[in-house]
Amino acid sequence: MLKGFTRKFKPLEILTEEQVEAIHRGTLEILENTGMTFYHEKALKLFEKNGCKVDFEKKRAYFPPALVEECLRKCPSSFHVKARDPKSDLIIGGDTLYFTTFPGMRTVDLDTWESRVPTKKENDDAVKVLDALDNLHKILCYTPYFEVKSIPPITAIPESVAAKIRNSTKIQLTGYSKDCEIFNIKMAISAGTEIFGQCCASPPLTYYGDAIESAFRFIEAGFPLHISTGDVFGGTAPATLAGSMITNNAEIIAIIVLTQLIKPGTRVVAADFVFPQNMQTGSPAFGAIGCSLHHVMFNQIWRKYGIPTNNASVGVSSSKKIDFQCGYERAILALLSALSGGNIIQLHGGIHGELTYHPIQSILDDDIAGMIGRFIEGVEVSDETLAIDLIEEVGPIPGFYLNKEHTRKWWKKEQFVPKAADRLTYPEWMKKGKKSCLDYAKEKMDEILATHKPIPLTEDQDNEIERILEEARKYYQERGML
Amino acid sequence: MSDEVLKNLKKAVIEYNAEEAASWARKAVEEKIDPIKALDVMTEAIRYIGDGFGKGELWLPDLVGAADAMQSAMPIIEEEIKRKGAKRESLGIIVIGTVYGDIHSIGKTMVATLLTAGGFTVHDLGVNTKAEEFIEAIKKYKAGILALSALMTMTAPEQKKIIAALEKEGLRDQVKVMVGGGSITQEFADSIGADGYNPTAPGAVKLARSLVGK
Amino acid sequence: MLKGFTRKFKPLEILTEEQLEEIHRGTLEILENTGIVFHHEKALKLFNKNGCKVDFEKRRVYFPPGLVEESLHKCPSSFHMKARDPKNDLRIGGNTFYFTSACGMKTIDLDTWEPRVATKQENYDGVTILDALDNCHFLTVYCPYFGFEGVPSVMAIPESIAAKIRNSTKVQAEGYSQDCEIFNIKMAKAVGIEIMGAFFASPPLTYYEEAVEAAFRYVKARFPIYISSGCVYGATGPATIAGSTMTTSAEITAGIVLTQLIKTGTRVVANNYTFPQNMKTGSPAFGQIGLSLHNVAFNQIWREYEVPVWNANYCPSSSKKIDFQCGYETAIGALIAALSGSSLVGLHGEIYGELSYHPIQSILDEDIAGMIGRFVEGVEVNDETLAVDLIGEVGPIPGFYLNKEHTRKWWKKEQFVPKAADRLTYPEWMEKGKKSCLDYAKERMDEILSTHKPIPLAEDQDKEIERILKEARKYYKEKGMM
Repeated sequence: MLKGFTRKFKPLEILTEEQVEAIHRGTLEILENTGMTFYHEKALKLFEKNGCKVDFEKKRAYFPPALVEECLRKCPSSFHVKARDPKSDLIIGGDTLYFTTFPGMRTVDLDTWESRVPTKKENDDAVKVLDALDNLHKILCYTPYFEVKSIPPITAIPESVAAKIRNSTKIQLTGYSKDCEIFNIKMAISAGTEIFGQCCASPPLTYYGDAIESAFRFIEAGFPLHISTGDVFGGTAPATLAGSMITNNAEIIAIIVLTQLIKPGTRVVAADFVFPQNMQTGSPAFGAIGCSLHHVMFNQIWRKYGIPTNNASVGVSSSKKIDFQCGYERAILALLSALSGGNIIQLHGGIHGELTYHPIQSILDDDIAGMIGRFIEGVEVSDETLAIDLIEEVGPIPGFYLNKEHTRKWWKKEQFVPKAADRLTYPEWMKKGKKSCLDYAKEKMDEILATHKPIPLTEDQDNEIERILEEARKYYQERGML
Repeated sequence: MSDEVLKNLKKAVIEYNAEEAASWARKAVEEKIDPIKALDVMTEAIRYIGDGFGKGELWLPDLVGAADAMQSAMPIIEEEIKRKGAKRESLGIIVIGTVYGDIHSIGKTMVATLLTAGGFTVHDLGVNTKAEEFIEAIKKYKAGILALSALMTMTAPEQKKIIAALEKEGLRDQVKVMVGGGSITQEFADSIGADGYNPTAPGAVKLARSLVGK
Repeated sequence: MLKGFTRKFKPLEILTEEQLEEIHRGTLEILENTGIVFHHEKALKLFNKNGCKVDFEKRRVYFPPGLVEESLHKCPSSFHMKARDPKNDLRIGGNTFYFTSACGMKTIDLDTWEPRVATKQENYDGVTILDALDNCHFLTVYCPYFGFEGVPSVMAIPESIAAKIRNSTKVQAEGYSQDCEIFNIKMAKAVGIEIMGAFFASPPLTYYEEAVEAAFRYVKARFPIYISSGCVYGATGPATIAGSTMTTSAEITAGIVLTQLIKTGTRVVANNYTFPQNMKTGSPAFGQIGLSLHNVAFNQIWREYEVPVWNANYCPSSSKKIDFQCGYETAIGALIAALSGSSLVGLHGEIYGELSYHPIQSILDEDIAGMIGRFVEGVEVNDETLAVDLIGEVGPIPGFYLNKEHTRKWWKKEQFVPKAADRLTYPEWMEKGKKSCLDYAKERMDEILSTHKPIPLAEDQDKEIERILKEARKYYKEKGMM
């Protein structure tokens, strides 16, 4: 099992109990009286059968509060997810923090910083890099890339799932689109791994048919489900943080009700995937502090619900380059998510606005994850760490600690040493060619690709994956979609 | 008196007040004020908001709020223009909308507002607009430009359908088609036979000007 | 008075009450039984007179716990500081925090990233820029540069103060060296402002004579004092965070006892200037998560003591460039300092260690300050922000919030819009020449320098500053020091 990081102190909270209650009441009010649209007949019928008022013409379901609260209680507060190598299993929930990736449509050229479609090899290599990183515990859907040369869009998701199963033993989340989840599930089962399924709202307060169909399929396969919304506050959600928390939570909870009606005890992760509206460009505002205010509130409320959380809006900057801005935006967002008790943080690899990803970025992010992870593990206070006797022995100047056994024993536990950061003095830095973190990350990437060998599938498993991909291609050809 | 009405109509748009804008538009019709003048002051108001947006002093909610206010007064003024058979001098008449199946309005509204501010007469059909609705509007307003928006990869092909419908109706030669939206590229625009593409809202105004030769 | 940023929720804490108590007991133990060396006869006598055991030969003072706790109680928990312009007065302490500038030995070349000595003009311009930045509330010692071209090292501090007094109306801190504090105090008095005097321990457990002499001078001038210990843990402090927090606290507390014995009620700030030892290069490890852990423990302890705290150590990056690493290290350090209740948070302008500074960096840091400031001000929760009625009215798709009055009213309060960040979409970014935050910061610097006019001194005040500088030069010439 991957142990992730364990927070050793109380989480950061920014709401009072009364404020949490006000948001919860507002959420119940919207679920009961405004309701939610589901373009999915079977779901509407299931809701109706279980006591929801349903307007079939408007495709709108209204949720009684008792059903909502009962379903929230049925979700496990922490759960095990099985990987194809037991060392990569996860136990999600509680005070444990895992890091996952943030995907991008394309890769980016590190000289011009323009985006371009990656090759299949680049996609596979980027997965290998993720497999090798110590502080990356789970891989997201569409990761690393949504678009890969020579792969038609219709089979992009199954191809992506196959690349991840083949090049990494880490747990992955997978998407849905035009029935592709059928093949994703088959591949996971054949490789002996669990995968996270996904169900995404279309805010405000709407679910389209393919999202719901996907939820049914993943739950019926016995897999855990990741639920997220994509609210943009000021656009598809109220401009206020408190108001957008209500619409966002109502959207997620509606699906939680569905999951627990399909199969009680289904493992779910509530993902906060929200952005403020960029009021200049009309796109979401990436890397904005509003994402963190939202995540921190979200973590506090969902801790009360006893459901593990994913903070999704982290590893995505408004900058197009791997530069100062890209650094401070994601660092602030990731840290606040970790401090406030998010269980999974989407950090590694994403650069600008869901559009670009780069393995170099994932290597750099691994150091941020390590720093944050070290921070939340806190400070050990014991007779040995307080070291009063040592302090008395060393005394004032010319007393010195560097040569002490105590220092040799403790410094590595107390400090975190990043792997791709410039830690030299000026003269050394000049002498060694003025290398920056970007140069170190490139070296590290070359080293990983040359030395890291992900545990391969057995030959049978690999053949089976290929067979399922072939089946998928045939499926789409028959439907004239390929 | 008529100055007062026009002043208030302009003010209502600048203050994002849709109800007031509609009410002053009705008043303008009652008082037999030249509807072209009413349209002009609203355009001035939008230009004022558009300039502020360009300078970074105003923001999208302001732009969209003003566009909404103008939209609420437009049908009243248009009806009057039609009744009087009046004609307005503008760079050109544009019909704009987000295609069927797509409910993304931000980019489309930005472009529509900036086109209005840039001197075009713009008829915004909103989101989730079917091909036949576009055709009907082009005929009704005698539009010279059709501007289509599609944000999602799934809905981009809808633009192709609309161009086919134009051909079928024999309208293709009368209107220039410009396309935009997050999922559109120049290659895609070329492949469906559009007359122009631009990825940004200010760029769309430049494009429209070039399409009408101004 | 500058209002700074007010934290609207409980500070981040990582120690339990029992751990806090253990560190406090350990600190008292060190002060009482190991003692602190003071190379200053007058101080030793003063301690002796007030009940400390003093070994005059070893110059070592042993502090009875009663005196220590009494002295801590005598310090004000918050206090006012007078600036040249009353609008820039500060009230330091409590839940409010201010960002302070940082400093660097030299400026850097933005193409080669190599350091070089700043010109006088660059030093004065650096101050002008800090004066213009809304989120920089306080100018630190030696800021922006430790001296500039044409200034003999002995005059570096007085010349630095003169520049800050002339080009900014903000409150400043100042250092000491070879009696220069005499002139610093004179300049401050000449323009009717208060400056915060520095008082540094030399770890482990030692104070040199000139530090103590400066403390006497600043206290007698009735100025506030900040007391700091530049402990490098693993070298001049124990390698453990708990142990070095204790030695740091013991050193600072000894300094506080002295200030309160000289004059009861003297306004003091406890300044944490601790770094881990870089175990490879031998220099302090900048930009490390260890110093944030140290800050949080420190802030928690000193909140208990009710003495305002300055985290001046968070900011220096280990990177030599304004790059990704510089971004994440700076952001993580500043954010943790702010969340954990530091009253002053060092931030603006520093790049590598204390070795380099650039005004462009201060402009970029201004956005980090704004983001953090927005975060700590939290979330407003009331009927209007919850917006349940609006959510009901807008409903599911095609409902929309961008065009609502509620959005126009609230979005600016909820969001923070940075001034020097790239916030464009990819196509706009390409069209506008692929500008990064660094380009925007350069533009902003040019704009500030061409438009911002700091409130000038009265002519006679300016002459008086010049006269005092002359007096200082004469003083050092007579002593053969220049």
